[in-house]
Amino acid sequence: MHLDSNTQNTLLDQLSQIVSSEYLLTTTEALTPYECDGLSAYQRLPVAVVLPDNIEQVQKIVQACSNLKVPIVARGAGTGLSGGALPHEGGIILGLSRFNKILSIDTNNLTAVVQPGVRNLAITEAARPYGLYYAPDPSSQIACSIGGNVAENAGGVHCLKYGLTVQNIQQIKIVTINGTLLTLGSETFDTPGYDLLALMTGSEGMLGIIVEIVVKLLPKPHAVKVLMASFDKVEEAGNAVADIIAEGIIPAGLEMMDKPAIHAAEAFAKANYPLDAAAILLCELDGDEDQLEEQVIVVEKTLKKAKANNIVIATSAEEQAKLWAGRKSAFPAVGRLSPDYYCMDGTIPRKQIAHVLQKISEFSDHHGLLVANVFHAGDGNLHPLILYDANKEGELKTAERFGADILELCVEVGGTITGEHGVGHEKIDQMCVQFSPAELTQFFAVKSAFDPDSLLNPGKAIPTLHRCAELGAMHVHNGELPHPEIPRF
Amino acid sequence: MKIKDNDISTSLQQQVKSAINDKKSLCIQGGKSKLFFGNRFDAELLDLSQHTGIISYEPTELCITVRAGTKLSELEALLAENNQILPFEPPHYLFTDKDGTTHNTATIGGAIATGISGPRRAYTGSARDAILGVEIINGDGEIVSFGGQVMKNVAGYDLSRLMVRSQGTLGILLSVSIKLLPKPANDLTLSFDATQDQALAVFQALRVQQLPITASVWYNNTVSLRLSASELILKTSHTRLNTFLNDKFPALSSAKADNKSTSFWQEIRDHTHPFFTLTDKPVWRLSLPPATQSISQIDDAIAQKGDAPEPSQLIEWGGAQRWIHSRTPANIIHNLAQSHGGYASFFYNKGADDETFPALAPELFKIHQQLKRKMDPHGIFNPNKMYQGL
Amino acid sequence: MKTEFSPTFLNTPDGKLANEILRTCVHCGFCNATCPTYQLLGDENDGPRGRIYLIKQVLEDKPVTQATRTHLDRCLTCRNCETTCPSGVEYGKLIDIGRKVVEEKTTRGFKEKMTRKALLSLLPYQKRFTSTIKLGQIFKPLLPKILSKKIPKNIKAGNYPSSTHSRQMIILEGCVQPALSPDINAATARVLDRLGISLIRPKNAGCCGAVNQHLSDEEKALDFVKQNIDAWWEHIQNGAEAIIITASGCGAMVKDYAHLLRDDKDYADKAKKVTELCKDISEVISKEDLTPLQTQQRQTKNISWHPPCTLQHGQKINGVVEKILTDKGYNLLPVNDSHLCCGSAGTYSILQAEISQQLQANKIKHLTKHQPEMIVTGNIGCQTHLQEVSDVPVVHWIHLLDN
Ligand SMILES: Cc1cc2nc3c(=O)[nH]c(=O)nc-3n(C[C@H](O)[C@H](O)[C@@H](O)COP(=O)(O)OP(=O)(O)OC[C@H]3O[C@@H](n4cnc5c(N)ncnc54)[C@H](O)[C@@H]3O)c2cc1C
Ligand SMILES: Cc1cc2nc3c(=O)[nH]c(=O)nc-3n(C[C@H](O)[C@H](O)[C@H](O)COP(=O)(O)OP(=O)(O)OC[C@H]3O[C@@H](n4cnc5c(N)ncnc54)[C@H](O)[C@@H]3O)c2cc1C
Ligand code: SF4
Ligand code: SF4
Repeated sequence: MHLDSNTQNTLLDQLSQIVSSEYLLTTTEALTPYECDGLSAYQRLPVAVVLPDNIEQVQKIVQACSNLKVPIVARGAGTGLSGGALPHEGGIILGLSRFNKILSIDTNNLTAVVQPGVRNLAITEAARPYGLYYAPDPSSQIACSIGGNVAENAGGVHCLKYGLTVQNIQQIKIVTINGTLLTLGSETFDTPGYDLLALMTGSEGMLGIIVEIVVKLLPKPHAVKVLMASFDKVEEAGNAVADIIAEGIIPAGLEMMDKPAIHAAEAFAKANYPLDAAAILLCELDGDEDQLEEQVIVVEKTLKKAKANNIVIATSAEEQAKLWAGRKSAFPAVGRLSPDYYCMDGTIPRKQIAHVLQKISEFSDHHGLLVANVFHAGDGNLHPLILYDANKEGELKTAERFGADILELCVEVGGTITGEHGVGHEKIDQMCVQFSPAELTQFFAVKSAFDPDSLLNPGKAIPTLHRCAELGAMHVHNGELPHPEIPRF
Repeated sequence: MKIKDNDISTSLQQQVKSAINDKKSLCIQGGKSKLFFGNRFDAELLDLSQHTGIISYEPTELCITVRAGTKLSELEALLAENNQILPFEPPHYLFTDKDGTTHNTATIGGAIATGISGPRRAYTGSARDAILGVEIINGDGEIVSFGGQVMKNVAGYDLSRLMVRSQGTLGILLSVSIKLLPKPANDLTLSFDATQDQALAVFQALRVQQLPITASVWYNNTVSLRLSASELILKTSHTRLNTFLNDKFPALSSAKADNKSTSFWQEIRDHTHPFFTLTDKPVWRLSLPPATQSISQIDDAIAQKGDAPEPSQLIEWGGAQRWIHSRTPANIIHNLAQSHGGYASFFYNKGADDETFPALAPELFKIHQQLKRKMDPHGIFNPNKMYQGL
Repeated sequence: MKTEFSPTFLNTPDGKLANEILRTCVHCGFCNATCPTYQLLGDENDGPRGRIYLIKQVLEDKPVTQATRTHLDRCLTCRNCETTCPSGVEYGKLIDIGRKVVEEKTTRGFKEKMTRKALLSLLPYQKRFTSTIKLGQIFKPLLPKILSKKIPKNIKAGNYPSSTHSRQMIILEGCVQPALSPDINAATARVLDRLGISLIRPKNAGCCGAVNQHLSDEEKALDFVKQNIDAWWEHIQNGAEAIIITASGCGAMVKDYAHLLRDDKDYADKAKKVTELCKDISEVISKEDLTPLQTQQRQTKNISWHPPCTLQHGQKINGVVEKILTDKGYNLLPVNDSHLCCGSAGTYSILQAEISQQLQANKIKHLTKHQPEMIVTGNIGCQTHLQEVSDVPVVHWIHLLDN
């Protein structure tokens, strides 16, 4: 997997002619901070890190690598949670952090043209003076890059109503493996030809390097209300979610946290979360004042019926920001509970929430590791955080097994192994469970149409059939396990 | 609504396998309502219209999984019973028999494969936005699934969305899972007079207003807006719209409720409106950035003996979709649309050699060909339908 | 995050603390988002998450060169990352330890060493520094531009009130502030005098110790710290209510005394008391009834407020000065990116001139966007640094209450 020294020397020589020495890192010392992304359990050292700041440089870098058959792993802000930006030992990291400019904001068509390294939140901040914002808001929005968001099809607390990244971008420019610059999508509502924009979204840096993005902006809602409801039982909170949807209401955000998560988030954000509740639901409603009034009444009634024992309605922007601050920082805040956490990302049909949470707590007993649950309840996207200590022999392995159990359960109940964090390096084995050999072959076919030598982020996201066979993993179709009578968990 | 449960996937798969064997290509057909869309080509018919039924539907999951041959009209009736809708309001268009009678045969598979969306598109998203998962017969004759029934799913490449708009050139849709929306309690259509320039300015200003608008049209110097919400909200919204018009566009008269609403929006959606049916001129669709100013160079606004000129433009989607009658040569229309950051497609009254879509940039077309070759290695699915050579 | 320290290091107080801090970091990268140097340079090595990684490598005894040291030197110690970090990583403490170890393991070039030595032998000593500045002021026209820009105008202190009240507080005189802006503490004394509080100025107190602490000279820093504690102790026993600091940089340091001396059997308790009593001037003022300060009609109205990092991130005091000034009728103009460092950061502006000047330029652009009549701040470092490039006066906010 490593590069031979000849190729390496030629490569470094060529790269040094493209970017200045400051932006070409090659020593172990300087490369080590790049050895992992937001998932620090897996580390690898790349051959070099290159930090270009214009498209032409990217084209040249890609061409150089392509000629020498050197793998390229793109990296945005490195907040990914699936090891997507985990380096390849024989390849380079192409860092896009210096592409951090917002190129223009079109207040007539409600779009913004941005470079891929721009932080998600920076777009909203730049659009704010015009009364606009960028809707997808991953919890990592303060830090994650929009390029990384496109590569992962990132979601967020507002995606239930406003869609994921794929529904909120109109056009991207990519550099293909042979260095060609392509424009996909357009500034209109549709484009002739295949929807390659959608195909690129969520492709985890494996089909091309994203170098420019046109995002949609939305007018800021006139009014917003956030309701926080506390429950004595986790299952009651889970059921309340389906009840709200059944009322014909699509909240702007509908999030849930269980007790450990509430405690950790409260310690950081001081949001006045009820520390004695078994679970809380945060429900954001928005729209014009009249519509909002109607919805708040319905939601409040529904929550009460679902046995919420306390409902707080935050009206002022500050109170609302406080309530969300806790939720948005919940993952890292869990770092206060335990030195390490392992974040899962399965999505399940909403009606399965209570059942799956029950199962997770059984797994937790079985593996002897605690779990904090934080998730996008509205769209059934779970983020169980498995608490472990990497310094303790064997705990990471146990955490991984626990995680695998959760993901396979998600597939079993008709869901998926990843709702927004991507497969990356981490969930590659669970792909064998979710997809059949024919399906995986189809993915490889698409990959080879863009990248025949498999140089873009190789080894991620799609497992080889060989790997699946070795693993002996079973493909579960439409939630039907072969031989369902055999107890597995 | 009872929808016939009829799974013919095995026989469809059989037909694909023999086509591969016999090196024959297939013409995939649902309800025949969108045959005009794309190029003509010779191939063996593969008929999906009998592959019907609901595979799963649980209203609280806001998702339905349905066989591709299911008629749109039946599907929508079922959803209506549960107070839900397809967010992208797919046009049915109608299939016209040899003897001139029309049939509402459009299928959900056809709607997804062409990716054509209706009046609601500008407000609640397109077909591609709503798709959650697909089951297809691939180029090797295997049945494979991508995506799923849940709202968020990023496992593997997004081949479900790639299928939308690919017009059957990459695989045969067997079933699709679609995200649904709650059906608003009521619709109200409000109309007022405006020139094209005024209408575009109003659309522009409305983009940042937060009225529950779900459709917009400018035609024959009239703006029509459809609002969807509860009775009470519709009332206050009507007042708010008029206050807004009064403040920002004092030259315009206030908007009046229009009671022929349902049929009007259906005519717009299905192209049974006279604008589409009563012309023998080429009908073009321009997809443009919504704030694009009025495009008058290509109008064929012929004054008829002292009458007002025949309206030759119909604008939808707040300015983003514009229909035009024009005999202007195709290359001029394509260039014009491109110079405004959009593109044109040739919808009705085409000549035999006219292509529907504009040519793609060479590098981009190459990627299309590579992808097609990988997904459909035997070249059997709708060859040349979308583009010659694809 | 996983750590692999040698057992010997792990058993030292620094080792134990560093290990605890590193293990709270979950590598989420949020902190990079608000780090001024990461924003400018875009290299993970120049952001907090990368620096934490670099420090981890050093503490794990991995090979280290001047490259690591350069990345640590470039850190402003503004501690913006600490405010952003949801996991509670005490970066400020970690970088102190990291710098100390790196300093031992790497050697600096001769010129670099001399500059740092000169700063260490000059800045913390009020008398030496004052006379250097005086000389500088006289010879300013003759100095090279880069240096002459750094010599401030000669400022008169004004009267010091002579009355004594029963309420007494200690004030830290500091080292550079008396030379650069002697008027700040005088104004503070006048304001407090009208509120019925007298200030004690103990003779033997001196520099708070921050210069040495931040230039990895902890030993000398602790000497300063103990000297101050000794100088204050008598007054504390006599009932001084608080130790007032008018430079938030020093305040952050004094509030850290308890931590720095936690393992010192002679000083631990005293240091704890000192830290408890240590108050930024804004904390004191905000608790008093300010009616006695009702004064004549003011001319200045529109001002821009620059919250020093040592105030907002170091001491986590936010919105306090803003409230005092707004209540007094000032109009605080909106300032973008007010959470970011101005680039002064103690000796940083001398040692990392290029980055410092970029941050300075960005900061002044944001501060002057809405044409303020005046820029106010709460730290002498920021004040002189911003004044270098500002067309409008930059003053300590306490002056606005002193008229
Ligand atoms: C983050 C941080 C914050 C600090 N905050 C304070 C504080 O608020 N108050 C305080 O008293 N100490 C503070 N210190 C301690 C500080 O290092 C020293 O007290 C001293 O450097 C303060 O100078 P300064 O903050 O004004 O910064 P500097 O910018 O280093 O120095 C102040 C001014 O003096 C000029 N100057 C410095 N040295 C020379 C020289 N040799 N020749 C000519 N001109 C010179 C500089 O150009 C500048 O205009 C802080 C230290 C750190 C690391
Ligand atoms: C605390 C925390 C909370 C999070 N919450 C959410 C959440 O709510 N929702 C959510 O969706 N995600 C969440 N994430 C995950 C992560 O922030 C997202 O996946 C984000 O989109 C990654 O962006 P990045 O810039 O950090 O990308 P990176 O981690 O740098 O890269 C991610 C992947 O994208 C590829 N890539 C990056 N940039 C490009 C480019 N320009 N061109 C091509 N490929 C590229 C990389 O190769 C890699 O495969 C969270 C992460 C953390 C640490
Ligand atoms: S202290 Fe400031 S400069 Fe240093 S790492 Fe933290 S944010 Fe960056
Ligand atoms: S924000 Fe905190 S936990 Fe996250 S990487 Fe930075 S220091 Fe570590």
